Amino acid sequence: MAEIFIDNNRYEFEGPTKVLQFILDQGLELPFFCYHPSLSIPANCRQCYVEAGQPVMNRETGKYEVDEEGNRVIRFFPKLMTACSLDATDGMVIKTHVTSELVRRGQKDVLEFILINHPLDCPICDQAGECPLQIQTYKYGPEGSRFEHKKVHKPKRIQLGPRVVLDAERCINCTRCVRFTEEVSKSNQLTIVQRGDKNYPVTAPGTEFDDPYSINTVDICPVGALTSSDFRFKARVWEMSSTPSLDITNGKGCSVDVWTRDNLVMRITPRHNPHINDYWMPDAGREAYKIYNENRISRPDLNIDGDKVKSSWNNALLTIAENLDTVKPSEILVLGSGYGSVEDNYVLGKFFSVLGQEQAHFVPNILAGTGDNFLISDDQAPNTNGCRFLGFNELKPDSINKEITSGKYKTIIVLQEDIVGRNLITTQDLSNVFMVYLGTNNNDTSRFANVTIPVTTAIEHVGSYVNVDGRVQRSMPAKETVYTDRRINLEMSMGRLDHFGTRFDNWVSDKNKVDCIPAWEFFVRLAHEMNKEFQYNDVREIISEISLTNKHFSGVSYERMDNELGIDLVNKQKEELNLA
Amino acid sequence: MSSIDWKSYTPTLIPNIKDYHKIDVYEKHGGYGALKKILKDPSAHTPESVTNAVKDSGLRGRGGAGFNTGLKWSFMPKPDGGPRYIAANGDESEPGTFKDRVIFEYNPHTFIEGSIIAAYAMSVSTVYVYIRGEYRSWIRMMEKAVSDAYEKGYLGKNILGSTFSVDMIVHSGAGAYICGEESSLMESLEGKRGYPRVKPPFPAQKGLWGRPTTINNIESLANVPLIMNKGSEWFKNIGASTHPGPLLYGISGHVNRPGVYEYPTGMLISELINDVALGVRGGKKVKAVIPGGSSTPPLRGDSLEGVRMDSDSLREAGSMLGTAGMCILDEDTDMVDFLWRVSHFYHHESCGQCTPCREGTGWLEKTLLKIKNGEGTTRDLDLLLDICGQMEGRTICALADAAAWPVRYTINRFRDEFEARVKNTVYALA
Repeated sequence: MAEIFIDNNRYEFEGPTKVLQFILDQGLELPFFCYHPSLSIPANCRQCYVEAGQPVMNRETGKYEVDEEGNRVIRFFPKLMTACSLDATDGMVIKTHVTSELVRRGQKDVLEFILINHPLDCPICDQAGECPLQIQTYKYGPEGSRFEHKKVHKPKRIQLGPRVVLDAERCINCTRCVRFTEEVSKSNQLTIVQRGDKNYPVTAPGTEFDDPYSINTVDICPVGALTSSDFRFKARVWEMSSTPSLDITNGKGCSVDVWTRDNLVMRITPRHNPHINDYWMPDAGREAYKIYNENRISRPDLNIDGDKVKSSWNNALLTIAENLDTVKPSEILVLGSGYGSVEDNYVLGKFFSVLGQEQAHFVPNILAGTGDNFLISDDQAPNTNGCRFLGFNELKPDSINKEITSGKYKTIIVLQEDIVGRNLITTQDLSNVFMVYLGTNNNDTSRFANVTIPVTTAIEHVGSYVNVDGRVQRSMPAKETVYTDRRINLEMSMGRLDHFGTRFDNWVSDKNKVDCIPAWEFFVRLAHEMNKEFQYNDVREIISEISLTNKHFSGVSYERMDNELGIDLVNKQKEELNLA
Repeated sequence: MSSIDWKSYTPTLIPNIKDYHKIDVYEKHGGYGALKKILKDPSAHTPESVTNAVKDSGLRGRGGAGFNTGLKWSFMPKPDGGPRYIAANGDESEPGTFKDRVIFEYNPHTFIEGSIIAAYAMSVSTVYVYIRGEYRSWIRMMEKAVSDAYEKGYLGKNILGSTFSVDMIVHSGAGAYICGEESSLMESLEGKRGYPRVKPPFPAQKGLWGRPTTINNIESLANVPLIMNKGSEWFKNIGASTHPGPLLYGISGHVNRPGVYEYPTGMLISELINDVALGVRGGKKVKAVIPGGSSTPPLRGDSLEGVRMDSDSLREAGSMLGTAGMCILDEDTDMVDFLWRVSHFYHHESCGQCTPCREGTGWLEKTLLKIKNGEGTTRDLDLLLDICGQMEGRTICALADAAAWPVRYTINRFRDEFEARVKNTVYALA
C-alpha cells in the first residue's frame, strides 16, 4: 500500500486523495478556510500550507536514492504547498506546523493578511465562538498586527435574500458560498464582484438570494459575513446546547442539530450524514423551531358545548375512557400519522388491538411536485414509511371523509394529523363523532376535537422516524417538558458552560416547559384508567419489542441508529433476501 | 562593442512595407507562403515536424516567461477526436508593454498565418485571439484581418483545398490585467470571472472547457511563419544564442524617441537607449531601467554596463527579460513616487482570489503612500520587505510576485532615496 510521512509519522493510504483531506481523516489538524470536503478545491485562502517533498527515484535501478546514512533522499518543492490541492503520492513527505518553522511562519503570515481588513467586531459578531477565523487566529495567528492604515470599507447589512444577510467587510473571500450555489444547490445565485481587497459575494442586480437552501451558506461561511436573518443576534453560541436530531418538516428527514437555550429552540443546523443530507438541509427545515417553541398545546383541552376548556390530565383520561367503554371496537377509527414517531404509532395500534380494533389507518401527506430530487421530497411527513412498515392501512386523502360519513364510526382517535387543516374532512362531517386529538400544536383539528391531548414533539422525546428512502433515525430530548427533567434524563446533552447549578446554567426558567407527555405514555395511562393489561416503562422497551416482532425493524436499536447514522431498512431487507 | 550587427538588421516581423496589414500586400510579398507550403505537401510537413522545427529554432515565448514555444506545443496530448484549442494571448496589460498592438496594426496576417500553422502542428481546430478590451481599434483591425483571411480561404473549412480546417475567433477582454495570466484568460474566455486556476492540471491537459489548450503570446505566434519560411537555423542565428530571434522592444519613458523597435535579441541596453531611442530626454542621466514591463526588477542606471536584453544577461544583472517592454527613468525621477504608482497598479489589478496577494498589494500601496507623503518611518521600509516575503511564491498565479518584486528590488537598489524620505520622521530617542 502507498505510504506517506506526515511529521515523521508513517501512514498508509489507498486511492487518490488530497493531502489535507488525508490529514483531517487521520484526526490530525491543519488550519484551513476555503476547503470544504463537499465542494471543489479553489486553494484560495492559502492557509493550509505544508512543506512537501518526494523521494528521488533512480531511473536506472527503479529504486529510491539513499544518502550515506541510508535515509531516502527527499526533494522538497521549492515553495510552500497548499495541502488541500496537493495529491498524495507514494513516499511523499509532509511537514506541517508541528515540525516546520517555515509552515508556522506561512500560516501566521496568511492570518496576518486576512486580519488586516477584517473588522475586529467579534464581541458583536454572531459567528464568535464557532468562528474558524477566531479559533485559528488564537492557535496559529500573529500576536498583534503591523497594519497601521485604514481598513477597506465595504457594504454592511446587505439583505442578500429573504433569509441571509451579508456583512461584506467580514468576508474573507473563501468563495464557499459561491461554490455552494454553483455546485450543490445549482441555483448559481451568488458571485464575487469587484476586484482585489474590495471583493465580496453578492447576487446579480435585481435578483435575490432566495435559493431554498440559502442558509447553508451561513453554516459554511468561515467568518460572520453571512448570517441568518432569523437567528441573527438571538443567542451566543456558547449559551446553547446542541442535540442531534432530524428534520421533521419533510419526508427526507435530514440529520440536524437542535440548538436550545432555556427550553427554547434557538436554531437548527444540518448535521453531517453522508447517507441522507451530506452537510446540507433545506431552509424550510430550520423553521421547525417555531413548531417546537410556538403555539404549543399545554395541558389537555376539553370541548364543552363548543368552548375549549383546560382540563386536568385525570379528567381528560376519564372522559376518553368513558367514551371508549360505550362504543364497540369496530366503531372506533384509529388514525396514526407520519408526523408521529414509530414508537407512538406502534403503541397506538397496539393499544387499540388490545381493545379489539385491529386495524389502524393513516393518510400520507404527499404533495406531488413539491420535491426537488435533492433534500426536499414530495412527502411532507417525516415518518410515512414508518406507518407503512407498521402495517397501517394507507387511506387516500379523499376516502377518510367517506369512512366517517358512512356512520360506521362513533369515535375517532387522531394522532398528530391535522385532518381538518389539511381539508381531509369538514367539521360538519365530524360533528356526529367523538374525536380525541393527540397533538403538539394548536390547529384546526385541535380546536374542534372533543378532547385534545398535548403530546411531545420530536425533540422532547426519544422517537424513531423512517424517511422516504427507508432510513430510520431517532431523535432525543433537547428540551424539557414539565415531566422530564434533564437531571435524570440521561439522553439530554449539555452545553460547554451549561453545568447544573453553575451561574451559567441557562435552564432555570419553568415558563418554557410544555405540559405534555409522549403519546405512548398517554396510552399506557389510559390503559390503567380502563384496567387493561398494557404496560411500557420506557421507550427502549417499545423499540426492542418492535425490532423483535416486526420484520421491517428486525435488528434495529438506538445504539445502531446512533453509531451508523441511521439504518437503511429497505436495503437491509434486500440483503436478507439475498442471503435467503 | 556590440557583437550584434543591429544596424544592418532588416525588420521581418514589422517590415518596412507600405500597407503590409492588407491581405493583398501581404500575399504579394510571399504571405501565407509557409502555410501553402505545408498544406500542399502534408506528408513532408507532418505536425510533428512543424513542432520540431519550432522547437529547434529556439523560439522562446515572448509573453514574459520565456519558455520554449515548440516544447510547449509538444506537451499537447495526442488528438482523441475531441475539441482542442489555441488561445493567443494579446491581453498585453503589463505597464510598459505595447508590442502586440504593433502586430495587430501593421502585420496581423503574419500572426494569423502563424496561428494556423500552430493549429496544424497541434491538430487544433479553434484559435481564440484574446485582446484586451482597451484596444478597441486594434480589435477592429484584427476582426477585419480575420474576416479577410476567411474570405481568401486561409481560415475555415478545408483550408486551401486540404483536409485541414481551423476557425479563428477574436475575443475582447474587459480590461483586467489578471486576464493576461493564461489560466484566468481561459476562465475569461469561458465567460467566467477572471480567477487564475490552480495548476496542475496544466492547460495542455485540461484547458478551455476541460480540453487540451495551448496559450501562446501574439508575438511568439507571429514568429512561426518566419521559422517555416527561412528555417530553424536562420532563426537560431539571430541575436542571443540562448534566446534567439527578432524581438519587439517597446521603449518608453524619458527617452527622445520612444516606440516599438524590431531588433535581434541580446541588444545592449545602453545601445537601445542611446542609439535606438536617441538618448535620454534633455541629455540627462539614466537613473533606472525597467527591462521588461513593470513587474521586472528595475536596474540602476549605473549598473547597465554590458547588460544585454536576453534572459541570461539580465538574470546576471538581477532582472528579467519579461516582455521586453523597457521603461527608462531619468535622474529626476522620484523613485518613491514611481514605486507607489507601480504598487497602486498591482493593488488595483489583483483579482483578490488568494489571500496574500489580495491583502498584500493593498498593504504595500498604503504603506508606500504613507512614505511618499513623508509620514513613513524607517521601520516601514523593513515592513515593506517583510510583506514582499510573505507574498512571493505564496499564491496561485504570479501576480503576487509581480507586485512584490518591484517593491523589493526598488527599495534594495534605491534604498538611499527611500531612507532620505523617511528620515524626516525618525523619532528622537526618548
